Amino acid sequence: MNVTWKTLGSDTGAELLQAMRAPEFYIPTLALPTAFYFLFGIMMSRGGAQAAQYLLASFGVFAVMGPSLFGFGANVSSEREKGWLMLTQAAPVSGLSYVLSKLLTTVIFSAAALLPIYILAGFVGGVEMARGQWLTLFACHLLAVAPFSFIGLAIGFSFASGGAIAVCNIAFLGLAVLGGLWFPISLFPGVLQTVALGLPSYHLAELCLWATGATGDREPFTLLLIIIAMTGGLAALALAAWSRQR
Amino acid sequence: MGNPAICAHQLRKHYGDTQALKGVSVDIAPGQICALLGQNGAGKTTFIHCALGLIPASSGTIEVLGEGAGSLAAKKRIGVMLQDTDLPDLLTPREHIERFACYYDNPQPTDALIVDSGIAAFAEQRYKTLSGGQKRRVQFAVALVGQPDVLFLDEPTTGLDQEARQDVWRNIRRLADSGTTVILTTHYLEEADALADRIVVIHDGQVIADDAASTIRSQVGGSMIACHTRLDNKQLEALPGVRSVSLSGRIAQLLSEDAPASLLALLLADPDLTDLTVTKPSLNEAFVALTEA
Repeated sequence: MNVTWKTLGSDTGAELLQAMRAPEFYIPTLALPTAFYFLFGIMMSRGGAQAAQYLLASFGVFAVMGPSLFGFGANVSSEREKGWLMLTQAAPVSGLSYVLSKLLTTVIFSAAALLPIYILAGFVGGVEMARGQWLTLFACHLLAVAPFSFIGLAIGFSFASGGAIAVCNIAFLGLAVLGGLWFPISLFPGVLQTVALGLPSYHLAELCLWATGATGDREPFTLLLIIIAMTGGLAALALAAWSRQR
Repeated sequence: MGNPAICAHQLRKHYGDTQALKGVSVDIAPGQICALLGQNGAGKTTFIHCALGLIPASSGTIEVLGEGAGSLAAKKRIGVMLQDTDLPDLLTPREHIERFACYYDNPQPTDALIVDSGIAAFAEQRYKTLSGGQKRRVQFAVALVGQPDVLFLDEPTTGLDQEARQDVWRNIRRLADSGTTVILTTHYLEEADALADRIVVIHDGQVIADDAASTIRSQVGGSMIACHTRLDNKQLEALPGVRSVSLSGRIAQLLSEDAPASLLALLLADPDLTDLTVTKPSLNEAFVALTEA
């Protein structure tokens, strides 16, 4: 396998350049979560420190979902259709470099989507945390890149480019609403609460809530284990989709 | 050097019940231009994909420069231009070349490559905005970044206009002159003829001819004579220069390697013949002639 710092740097640079030249990608993925957070998290919030922590934790997960799902789902699908993926497989560079460079790009875009939300939360959203808590929250939010990217990757390998965008949208909204990112699942009927337990978005939001120091019984290590297990399963799914289309 | 550019032995590939390659054995020596000639669906692209390690062979072996097909060692020494492939839209040709340069141990200097490949005029434009011919030239340049010993070109000129095609041909010749082995697939007889030292004819997953270009040309070259005649099969076959005859009713089709001689004798033997046409045989007719020979 030929993954070196050189190939990874070169691929990541190319990915970043492409993402920065695609306003149809960066405008929705960067501006939408901030706008939603501003609307639902600040303008319409009835206040209270607990609500503020919940909104920051869950909208942060929502912000990371966009670049992860769409960056992988839509791009991989179109690159596969155009034969670009095949050309990279014939080139002396590992497929790992292809995936890792996209992951790094997604992490960078996720960080860029999180930053304005953090600023809003800290200055007008009524969230008060110690510096260490902000950093822990940031790490937990960025952890969300992994499972969502594998979902995007599986979609990208399974659907044609037009269909992939539609499926990404369904996954995007489904994971957000059913995972309790927009409303706490305690407001859901019992069946939907069970559905939420099967979604990575729910467990990630819970982990992030723990990071904010919110009150409640949360076992960070159990949550982390669940997230890692789900990520592993999704990675296997993406790998299966990859080998099936070859 | 020393190792053959490609060494395939009894290579088979099937997709379900469909046999794409039915036991292909080919040795391609370094330093030549070799054309894999065949109709669409003959198995040329499948063969190239096996050679690049993009798909595993069902059975048989294939090596590239003495290394396993698709191994890193092989990939570092080859350049590839695939059929129906586009590079990412939002990068410029220069950025594409610089990206690929990082994959190889000894890449060509970017500026020199841009000038040599004739893409300097649009090297800073986004790939999306280029014309079909310009895109193909960029893909060609990308295939050359690693200074390959063997260059694979799958249908390099399909969809190009005459001018762009001539341009690609010029580039291929220039490379071959500098010692690069070029393996290209084409379904244009004239392209194989114009470029290749050696032509491997693939038909229905099998090699049906493999020889110097001049030999293949004389085998599949010649002219197709069609007419309405009262001569029978035997009489037609006896005409000078006629290699094969197909007769349906009174309509005869003759493949001739010496059209003037055949025509002269034909007109003398049957002064009443009508509907006479003389054409270049299509690749299809040439293949029928080859498979029947």
